[in-house]
Amino acid sequence: MTLAANSPTSFQPATAQRKPSLRPRRAASTSTFGISLVTLAGLIALWFLAARFGWASPLFLPSPADVLTQFTAVAADGYANGTLLDHTLASLGRIGAALGVGIFVGIPLGLLMGLNRWVKGIFSVPIDLYWGLPPLAYLPLLIIWLGIGETSKIVLLSLSTFAPICFAAQAGVRSVPVERINAALSLGASRLQLFTSIVLPSALPEILTGLKIAIGAGLSTLVAAELIAAQSGLGYMIMSAANFLATDVVFVGLIVIAALAFAFTSGMRWLEHRLIPWKGKL
Amino acid sequence: MLRIRDASVTFPASDGQDVHALDHVSLDIAPASIVVAVGASGCGKSTLLNAIAGFLPLSEGTITLDGQEIVAPGGDRGVVFQKDTLLPWANVLDNVALGLKYRGVPRGERHERSRHLLELVGLADFAEKPPYELSGGMRQRVGIARALATDPKILLMDEPFGALDSLTRETMQQLLASVWAKTGKQILFITHSIEEALTLGTTIVVMSPRPGRIVARFDADFVRDFAESGDIGPIQSHRRFIELRQEIRSLIHQPEGARTGTLQ
Repeated sequence: MTLAANSPTSFQPATAQRKPSLRPRRAASTSTFGISLVTLAGLIALWFLAARFGWASPLFLPSPADVLTQFTAVAADGYANGTLLDHTLASLGRIGAALGVGIFVGIPLGLLMGLNRWVKGIFSVPIDLYWGLPPLAYLPLLIIWLGIGETSKIVLLSLSTFAPICFAAQAGVRSVPVERINAALSLGASRLQLFTSIVLPSALPEILTGLKIAIGAGLSTLVAAELIAAQSGLGYMIMSAANFLATDVVFVGLIVIAALAFAFTSGMRWLEHRLIPWKGKL
Repeated sequence: MLRIRDASVTFPASDGQDVHALDHVSLDIAPASIVVAVGASGCGKSTLLNAIAGFLPLSEGTITLDGQEIVAPGGDRGVVFQKDTLLPWANVLDNVALGLKYRGVPRGERHERSRHLLELVGLADFAEKPPYELSGGMRQRVGIARALATDPKILLMDEPFGALDSLTRETMQQLLASVWAKTGKQILFITHSIEEALTLGTTIVVMSPRPGRIVARFDADFVRDFAESGDIGPIQSHRRFIELRQEIRSLIHQPEGARTGTLQ
């Protein structure tokens, strides 16, 4: 602004403001939300055009209108033994149960591993061993052990969400600044007070990051597991549709999964905003 | 009374040669005195403070506070760190009240006492703010208020103003002098600034590195004038101040071999 006012060629600050700038200004102008929205609209427009002018066979790329029709049809009448809501709830139930196990077992165990040499020594070996395996590689083994029902899928998903949460909680404990611990001790904190008032809140940003990774890992494992061995769920619906070359139903499934992933991401962002507004500030 | 007797701290080094961070240091800190330890980096002054705080075990010797031997950190020794250690998730008031909370002081009472301390350090209007919205100097003031809240027997300050700009630093020195005059706390203050040591100390101990030792001690009284007048200018141009500054500077900059025998 000052530069523009001093410059002889520009008389109105308004003109200067419209010029692109590499320097950061207000927070609002650095937001990418508007740009992202335009990109999304552009992609959808491209899809419309591709369908309208027949750039690809509907077998490969169904038109948006077809997908919308299928969406309402699948939502109302169902596809592959269930409505869209049934499949979505089946998938959500599985990932919800797995995240529950990941959170309620992973966080306490991770915290303990961060605090205690023995716990870490005992548990880090089995976790390291299985965490390196692709979940779908041991799904057949879980099916042999636990049967084809819900149990094997929930165990599989729990294993894939548990490790990142557990590792994050452990890293969170070890990332607590030693000065912060010393400060609390010199203020007279007991061991329990040290844990609840210092260690736990300090570890929270790491734990939430672990939760985000766990949701990503859980979603990809979920759909993959449903593609292979399930009688319900979005992955199963997509696989059934693909077997009949019902590409529009495949698109419906993909859109719902994308929407779920987006909802999870937004939810996590909201949670971070609520729980750790101080992250990275001090 | 804090008594340090023959305190040594030895760290094993990777090359097998042990590092004597603190070598048979003896020192008394009397009630209502400010002892300032000054010296170059690595002279063991922070090690000394950490040992008194209970963060570091002694290899040899003893430290007692009012007859009780120090073995671990505790609420009877308030610590102000160089880098502020405020909790970002709690507001300023709750940060000051942290030590009282640990002692089970009820919420109303600990907030009242903390507000009083925030007034003492001139931050009454910032009680509800998160610490990261405060400047570095303000955060250190919160740190001082927090350390005072539990009414410790001694205040240990580890280069608390080292990271501040020189103007803020002067304000903080003034604040500390007036807080000391009002509370009469015994204080151990660590610094690498000779001026700061002379401005604030009733006793100044000069330390030298490898091994960390006290090589000289001086008594000074500038802090009383400073607390009264709040004006650093006349104090720092005082003849005695300039003489002492020169003497301490030459002690600190003395070549290592020539230092033996200067212990008073």
